[in-house]
Amino acid sequence: MSEPRVELSRCEACRARFVPTDGPCPRCGSTDVHPYEADPLGTVLASTEMTNPPPGWPAPHRIALVELPESVRLLAVVDGPPPAPATVVSVRRDGAVYRARSEPAR
Amino acid sequence: MSVHVASVGTGRFGKRAESQVELAAEAAGLALEGIGRRPVDLLVVGSMFSHGPHGREALLPRLAGRLALESAAGFRVDSSSGTGGMAFHAAALAIESGRFDRALVVATEKMTDRTTLENTRDLAASLHPDEVAAGATMPGLAAIVTQRYLQRFGRGVEVLDAATAHARAMATRNPAAQFFRKPIATAEIAQSRYVAAPLRLLHCSAISDGATALVLERGAGPATVLGLGQGFEALRLIDRDDLTTFGASRVAAKRAYDAARLAPKEVEVAEVHDAFSPFLYIHAEDLGLVPPGTAPDALANGEFALDGRIPVNPSGGVVGRGHPVAASGLAEVAEVALQLRGEAGGHAVASAPRVGLAHAMSGIAAHNFVTLLGREGP
Repeated sequence: MSEPRVELSRCEACRARFVPTDGPCPRCGSTDVHPYEADPLGTVLASTEMTNPPPGWPAPHRIALVELPESVRLLAVVDGPPPAPATVVSVRRDGAVYRARSEPAR
Repeated sequence: MSVHVASVGTGRFGKRAESQVELAAEAAGLALEGIGRRPVDLLVVGSMFSHGPHGREALLPRLAGRLALESAAGFRVDSSSGTGGMAFHAAALAIESGRFDRALVVATEKMTDRTTLENTRDLAASLHPDEVAAGATMPGLAAIVTQRYLQRFGRGVEVLDAATAHARAMATRNPAAQFFRKPIATAEIAQSRYVAAPLRLLHCSAISDGATALVLERGAGPATVLGLGQGFEALRLIDRDDLTTFGASRVAAKRAYDAARLAPKEVEVAEVHDAFSPFLYIHAEDLGLVPPGTAPDALANGEFALDGRIPVNPSGGVVGRGHPVAASGLAEVAEVALQLRGEAGGHAVASAPRVGLAHAMSGIAAHNFVTLLGREGP
C-alpha cells in the first residue's frame, strides 16, 4: 500500500513551494503554479490552544504551525493537546483544513 | 511642501455609552477647537467595523453632517487595525498634493456593545481566509508569532508579563487610556487566564470604544511630517520565512527614514502597535530602535521608560490604552504629536523630544505604516 501524500503547490517561475491557495504564487505572483504530491511528515514549529475560537469550532481549539520538507509551512488543526515544538507530525487534508497528528519516530 | 499636526483631540478609550458617531464627533470637536474652528476642506474617517449588520452605515456622511463639514471633501479608509495610520497618511498626502489646505482626520471604533464571538469573528476578517478556515484567530496567530520569538532568542514567558507591566504603568498616567489610574501587579498579569498560550488575557489588548482626531494643515510646526512609509508582507503567515520579525514594519520604516533623511538613532520617542504585549519587542527591533533580540533587555534596563534612552509607548500603547481597532493607529500618531508639541501632560517624556515615530499595524503585520514627525519643519 502506498503511503499517504499531501498535495502542495509549486511555482514554475520562482520554484517556491507552498500550501495551495486560490491566488497566484505568494512569493513572486506568477500564475504558473502546479500541484505536486509531498511527504506528509513535518515538524511542529509552534502551536497554541485558543479559548475563544471562531464560530463553528468547539472550545478550546488547537492549531499548529508545521514545517514540511523543502520549508513548506502549513497551519493544521490539532486534535488533543497542542504538540510541543520539534514534535514530528503527519498532516492530512480534511475538507477545507489540514489536520496534524503526532507520529512516532520511524 | 510641509504638512504639520496643528491640533489633537483624544477622547477617552474604554467602555463608552455613546454611539460611534458621538464618539467621533467628541474627538473631532476637541481637535477643531484646538485650531480655533478654522475651516477644514478635507475629512478623512477611518473605521473597520462600521458597516454591515450593526446599524452604523454611512459613518462618513453622518459625521460630516454632525460637524457641519458638508462643504469639505471626504474619504473613508479601512486597513483593519492599521486604519488610523492609513487615515493619517492619506490626509497628509492629500495636503502635500497641494489640493487641500487643512484636513480633519478621525479614526474610531465601537466594540463593547458586541459579543466576544462577534468581535473575534470580525477581527479575524483581517487574516487570510486560508488561515481563518483552520480556525485561527488574531490571538491564535499572535501566540504562534510569540512562541517563535521566545524560541529564537531564548526568552522565557516572563518577558510577556514585563511588556504588559510597562504598558499598564504608562497608561496609568494617560487620562485618555482605558487603564488610566488602574495600576496592576505583575503577578496578576502572570496569573490571568490563557487566551492562546503563551498569551494570557492581560497580554492581549482590550476590546474598547473610542475615537481619536487630529487636524493636519499645510506648513511647518512643532509636529511636522518628516517622512511617511508603508509596507506589505504576505498575508498568510505560512508564506513568511521568519515570524520573529515583521517585514511590513521594516519596509515601512526604511521608506519613512529615507524620506526624512533620518537614522533610527535620531528618534527620541516612539509609539508602536503592541496589539499583543510581546509585539512591543518585535516592533522596537524592526523599527531599528534596538538590535534584534535585545528589546526585552532594553525594557528591563529602563531604556523605554519616560526618562529612558528611547521612550516607547508613553501613552500606554495598545495594551495600555485599550484597542478600539481603527482608532489605535491614529492614537499613536496623536501621542507623538502631543509629545512634540509639549502637550502630553502627566505622560510627557523627560527629554522634550524633537523627533518621534508612530507605527501602525494591520492584522498580523500584513500592511504597516510608519510616520516620522519632527519639531522643526523640513
